[in-house]
Amino acid sequence: MTPSKVAVISSAQTELRSAWSEAQHIDLISSVVAGVFKGTGLDLDDVDFIIDSGSDVLDGRSISNCGFLGAMGAHHKEESRVEEDGLWAALYGATKIAAGGADIGLIIAYSKPSESDFNAFYATQCEPFYQRPVGFDHRAASGMQAQRYLAKHKLAPKDLAGLAVKRWSDASRYAKVQIPSVPSEMDVLASVNVARPLTKLMMSRPVDGAVAVLLVSEEIARRINRTPVWITGLGASADRHSFAARSAGALEACEKAAKTAYARAGWKRPEASLAELGASSAVGELMVMEALGLAKPGHGIDLLKSEGGTVVNRSGGSLPADPIMATGLVRLAEASRQLLYPDTYDLRNPSSAIVHGWGGVGMQTHCVVTLEA
Amino acid sequence: MLPIPSAHPIDMPAFKSVLSMPYTLTPGKAVGSFLAEIGRRRIVGSKFKKSGKVVVPAQDFCPFSGDSEFELIEAPTTGALTAFTETDAGMIGLIRIDGSDVDFPHRLVGAAYGDLSVGMRVEAVWAPDVEKSILGIEGFRPAPNAPVGKIRSLEAPAAPIEVVPYTLDLHYEHAFGPYYGRLFDEIKTNRRIMGVRAPDGDGAFLPPREICDITHKPTGTWVEVKQTGTVRAMSVIYLEFKGQKQPPPYIYAEIMLDGATTRLIHTVAGLDMKRAKELVKPGTRVRAVWRDKRTGSLDDISHFEIIDDKAG
Repeated sequence: MTPSKVAVISSAQTELRSAWSEAQHIDLISSVVAGVFKGTGLDLDDVDFIIDSGSDVLDGRSISNCGFLGAMGAHHKEESRVEEDGLWAALYGATKIAAGGADIGLIIAYSKPSESDFNAFYATQCEPFYQRPVGFDHRAASGMQAQRYLAKHKLAPKDLAGLAVKRWSDASRYAKVQIPSVPSEMDVLASVNVARPLTKLMMSRPVDGAVAVLLVSEEIARRINRTPVWITGLGASADRHSFAARSAGALEACEKAAKTAYARAGWKRPEASLAELGASSAVGELMVMEALGLAKPGHGIDLLKSEGGTVVNRSGGSLPADPIMATGLVRLAEASRQLLYPDTYDLRNPSSAIVHGWGGVGMQTHCVVTLEA
Repeated sequence: MLPIPSAHPIDMPAFKSVLSMPYTLTPGKAVGSFLAEIGRRRIVGSKFKKSGKVVVPAQDFCPFSGDSEFELIEAPTTGALTAFTETDAGMIGLIRIDGSDVDFPHRLVGAAYGDLSVGMRVEAVWAPDVEKSILGIEGFRPAPNAPVGKIRSLEAPAAPIEVVPYTLDLHYEHAFGPYYGRLFDEIKTNRRIMGVRAPDGDGAFLPPREICDITHKPTGTWVEVKQTGTVRAMSVIYLEFKGQKQPPPYIYAEIMLDGATTRLIHTVAGLDMKRAKELVKPGTRVRAVWRDKRTGSLDDISHFEIIDDKAG
């Protein structure tokens, strides 16, 4: 049996804010669930299954999806939770539809890191005997990644500052992100050291928000009077938990995930019109670009200057807005919108996209999706 | 964007909460041996039989191959720095202990950040009086002239530590949002219990919310529910457990307040507990009893008491 084609038919997203202090998780979630059906002719009754993504540790309650079922519209529906970034929820949903088991899936991811200490969230992912007591956490992992990367490729913190400024500037122009003000390179370099050589503005900024995406089978996509974006490739891979045992200077799991996704899509090379990718730091972002094959090792930074080729992170990516656990699904929503409404994003006839999500301390896990208009 | 609720949000400060989880962690043989040997100032690693890889600090499974057959070894206290950073927890680096095939993340001491360089020789600094913890090694300090140490077999190993007591505290500041915000503000300020009307009827949802959990339709206007209600289910709690608010026995009940279509869970008290099962049943009528103290939570209601219908 040939797998059914799967389309992204609609998405809805709240503004991403440093704190949605006047709203609960359920308020953010119900808002995007109500919004995602607009213009599709579909409603909740049509939905075959719901897959959601969030973190019990960030939410401060166990099995938190159970408390959010009503807001998700999941009453008496097939519902499943993915304790990974929302892009894995989309992968799960797309696989389910491709296998012929369902036609319409609602994918939801949300995050309110403002309600807790997101450093503690990452610390809980570390090992309690060797790592947590000495202060090893995602910041230390990111800092050591950066120290090694800059030294190996003879780059300076100023290069990272240039990347951060570009991302914040694009987010303020193109994305639904609350941006108080776009920082200058000086601001980035002068912001507080979080994990040397990384300053605060070289790290991804945790934000609150929710996103929902509707995935449908080819048959449903053809019947809906809306232009679909097709999911043509999927790949995911996890690296070793032990940060020290991973390859220094490369994100092997990201390379593997990309390879799988490109092979499924029938791509020989990653010649996408655009890419929406994320990382927990500016160096992480360069390493992801390289792992995705968009640049040679050490040359991710060149993509900032080059015109033509793949447009990377027109939305600004995760540096200005990282709704942890929802970031990858936001990338999918962003890439779909950019393919459908290129004029809004100053893009010329884009036809394909690479979408990337990640999770874990030092970016242990990676998920890659290819889209074609 | 979020729909605007039918009342302005009440500006309640965030609700602070702590999840405090006690654990008794099981380190296993390799990590347990490492922790046991800290007091003797020996660094323990694992040498895996199939791959021949040496892993310091010791692990039960080879991080490269997953191999679980290993012998414990005594690692030298010297090595080389392979990466470093500084966070608010201090300076931290990856140290390749001499003879190990994997790096060891630990603190860096006795140097300034600017003095650090990859390849620098380092040696362990022992913390006085710390046992059974990786912090028995205070950190690694620069040791330019430290000779390259060798892996040795671990002579007379100490019995592995079997259990490590551990506590994880996670702190939260939960937003109330417009609906819970008004609910708890009204409880605090006016001692009123406010719900919102269901999408298709006058019955009120408690707690109030923006959408109906069942139909996902927007809910209606605010409505005050009565402070009297009917018990729909009850249970007498005899068990003691962590996080318990009051000593057992006590009664938890699902109470349908008059005017509400949802059930509120609260306690029923003020009665002879020996006759609890006889006095409180589905159908029993109850009334809220308020505390003097106003905190803006459901705890402002001390409990529900049985309405003595015969007394009127």
